[in-house]
Amino acid sequence: MGITTILFWFLSALALLSAIMVLASKNPIHSILWLIAVFFAISGHYILLNAQFLAIVNLIVYAGAIMVLFLFVIMLMNLNSHTEPQKNIWMKLAGVISGGILFTILISVIRSSADMVNRTAQLKEGNIGLINTLGKVLFSDYVIPFEISSVLFLSAMVGAVVIGKKN
Amino acid sequence: MNAIILSAVLGVVMMFSSVFVKNKSALKHIAAAGLLVLLIANIADTYGCSLFKIDLHNMLRFDKFGLFFNTIGIGATLIYVVLSGRDIEKSGNYVAEYFALIFFVLCGLTLLTSFGNLLMLFIGIEILSIPLYILTGSDKRNLKSNEAAIKYFLMGSFSTGIMLMGIALIYGGTGSFQLEVVRSVFASYKGVSFLEIAGLLFLLVAMAFKVSAAPFHFWTPDVYDGAPSVFTSFMATVVKAAAFVAFIRLFDARVTETSAAVDWKMLFSILIISTLLIGNITAVFQQSVKRMLAYSSIAQAGFMLFALFSLNDMAKEGLLLYAAAYSLATIGIFAILIKMKDVSFEGYNGLAKTQPLLAATNTIFLLSLAGIPLTAGFFAKYYMLASVIKTGSYTWLVIFAVLFAAVSAYYYFRVIQAMYFKNGEAQTDTITPGFKAGMVIVAAIIVIVGILPQTILNWFYF
Amino acid sequence: MTLLALDWFLLIEKLILIAIVITASLVIAMYATYAERKVAAVMQDRIGPNRAGPFGLLQPLADGLKLFFKEEIIPDSSNRFLFILGPCLAMLTAMMTCAVVPWGSSVEIAGRTIQLQIADINIGILYVFGVVSLGVYGIMIGGWASNNKFSLMAALRGASQVISYELAMGISLIALLMLTGSLSIKTIVEQQVGHVWNIVYQPVGFLIFFVCAMAECNRAPFDLPEAESELNMGYHQEYSSMKLGFYLFSEYINMFISSAIMASLYFGGYDVPFLGHAHLAPNLLAIIGVVAFLVKIFIFIFVFMWIRWTLPRFRYDQLMNLGWKALIPLALANMLVTAVVILLRG
Repeated sequence: MGITTILFWFLSALALLSAIMVLASKNPIHSILWLIAVFFAISGHYILLNAQFLAIVNLIVYAGAIMVLFLFVIMLMNLNSHTEPQKNIWMKLAGVISGGILFTILISVIRSSADMVNRTAQLKEGNIGLINTLGKVLFSDYVIPFEISSVLFLSAMVGAVVIGKKN
Repeated sequence: MNAIILSAVLGVVMMFSSVFVKNKSALKHIAAAGLLVLLIANIADTYGCSLFKIDLHNMLRFDKFGLFFNTIGIGATLIYVVLSGRDIEKSGNYVAEYFALIFFVLCGLTLLTSFGNLLMLFIGIEILSIPLYILTGSDKRNLKSNEAAIKYFLMGSFSTGIMLMGIALIYGGTGSFQLEVVRSVFASYKGVSFLEIAGLLFLLVAMAFKVSAAPFHFWTPDVYDGAPSVFTSFMATVVKAAAFVAFIRLFDARVTETSAAVDWKMLFSILIISTLLIGNITAVFQQSVKRMLAYSSIAQAGFMLFALFSLNDMAKEGLLLYAAAYSLATIGIFAILIKMKDVSFEGYNGLAKTQPLLAATNTIFLLSLAGIPLTAGFFAKYYMLASVIKTGSYTWLVIFAVLFAAVSAYYYFRVIQAMYFKNGEAQTDTITPGFKAGMVIVAAIIVIVGILPQTILNWFYF
Repeated sequence: MTLLALDWFLLIEKLILIAIVITASLVIAMYATYAERKVAAVMQDRIGPNRAGPFGLLQPLADGLKLFFKEEIIPDSSNRFLFILGPCLAMLTAMMTCAVVPWGSSVEIAGRTIQLQIADINIGILYVFGVVSLGVYGIMIGGWASNNKFSLMAALRGASQVISYELAMGISLIALLMLTGSLSIKTIVEQQVGHVWNIVYQPVGFLIFFVCAMAECNRAPFDLPEAESELNMGYHQEYSSMKLGFYLFSEYINMFISSAIMASLYFGGYDVPFLGHAHLAPNLLAIIGVVAFLVKIFIFIFVFMWIRWTLPRFRYDQLMNLGWKALIPLALANMLVTAVVILLRG
């Protein structure tokens, strides 16, 4: 077991545990804090893959901006464990069953698919996540999606203004 | 490429026109002119006159089918803006922005008709959806509109999440986002693994959600009902048809016929049956015409799903015809619905006496939706069912569909019955002569296509 | 046994460096409080602290001791864990940025070249951004866990202020990055050594960055989260003892670090103009560089204080208008002009 392997298992366990705690926490604020922990764990995975740029952007965008907005909303609406709606036990059961089925299927898919066996991720030496490579790919092969996505952001911004402005 | 770039640019133009143009009704004319430009540019593109030379890296692939569908979509939007432009003006303070969002939706549409890469599919679906969330919630003082927007947004985000998961799985299996590569992996019997199939199933769920096929239809009635009627009209027609085109581009025959692990035909027929069943049966029990139309749009989606089922040339032609017939008729019906003071069935009582012309055109639209001969809807349904028969299997599905077409006639005729055979004073807003002329033209198109369907399909081949 | 196959010398070297940097940051932050009071005194024609030690130099120590010995109060209705986590996070994120600041070039000790930087990562600037954007959590969590409406409102204000100004800050930096072509702070500094400093190319960008840095540190005139006239005392009003100390301290550390970043990005870092022509021993040059860097930082800290004791506080809507309607468009224009110039010059 090299140090990378140990880190990998540690981060994976952390990510899974935090993700479960996001769902299990009664208090929405705690859920968000656990979700931030998930993002940290995933960023850690990115670093293991030598994709520092993705790692840090993941933190800036998700942990630094989106989650802050989540916190905003929840703090302003003053949600806490008391306001959490009580769900019907049958609803919970149905959720567990359908989620469990999906989970089983995905596991069996990954186990049975031939090309996943004996393949490991490129640890440390891959350079696909470095900012140089990413920038070049983004502005050559993927320049069309990159440019077109500006329309997406523009429409989202127009929408935010239309919705948010006082009449 | 013309349409994609121009629609984005025109969206920006519309956005800025609110700064320079203070007169609200002028905006409508600007938008209509923009759509006309877009239409002409797209037709020019169809005949090989492209304004932009761009190295596409196979991200987009333009073919006759997609470009022709663009023409139908843009044309339908043009008719929609001409007929309902005045009502868009009334729907809020941000008219220019609404038009801008409509142009952005068209940009999404043109992407969906030409994507050659799963990333472009994702971006196209998002560009199509996000403006719609906004338009749904544009009636800010109306609680129903707000609820519909939030519901649509949350459900739409979930389905996008599922779509991304599917794309990720397919990427994991094939190592590429390129549609061609993915297809060739699927086409080779040995290459395809459960990973790709699971990914494709996720994509199926997400796309079924976008076209509101049962059992992923739950958002449709509430959203269509809650959104301002003008925007429901747009959402239920052009946007839905665009999602179908994306669906059919994604599920190529090579993808579904060769991956033996899943019986795709069976899967699609289950989708079709449940969609037809739920859409038609629930529509029967509705009391509001608007809500009935929401369910009828689900039922119509069931018919359009036949194109996916059979996936042959006839199906593609049929989808084009269906999209045109369905969009035109529904836009027409909604244009009248917006003018009605009361959108329940009772509100239509006696419309034939107060507004005979509107009642007559409305009848033509409804007949077309029901698929009565001599209307465009008949040939659309005919092509769809014929394409299934051509595949040679699952003939019982056709019988089933015909049965439900008969059921659909029941609720469409309820409106006609209310207009002609019930006593009442149907209240409408003021109807301008221009609006009447527009309705007559749309009805005329539907009848002409109904008599000579080749007029549209011949364009397709030239 | 691969676990032990580390470069132990490197590890020890870095640990020593970390210890030095952290201690230095803390001491400088400590004396920044003293400097602040002295500067305020000069501006207001007073004497300032002068009792503890010569010229009052021991005043920060006395203040620190006082905070340590104060009674520790945790409100009953607060969320205990988060209440403690808040100030810790504030302190942690303030200190984390030190890791990528190049304090000097390299020195040679006993045949080893030692870089005077804890970690030269190739995305240094983004790292700074990431840490800064996480800095909000200290304020937000603390403010929320206090279970006091003034704290909460102050926390929300602070967070929205930081988010708003981060945008303009990022865009102003993009213009700089177009020139440097690198995200590593070390590389950016190296490019300036012996050449023209970046401030010459990016005066507007620097100005925007400076204003935003001030807002990010929650310093006056942007100290809305602590506006005592509206919010009693701000997000830390339920805090006492050293937890309060952490919050106050982290503000000074933030000021120190952002001064260091500005000095590195726009004012040549450890570069001393024309010194490259003098023939001095490399180690001596490095030490002069470190001193020069510190001098630049102190000048910035002084400017921070100068502004604080000169300008009145903004109103909240003015703050938002400045951020969204003035700084962001300005930063965008700056970015555009820079891009056009680069394009035209090939």
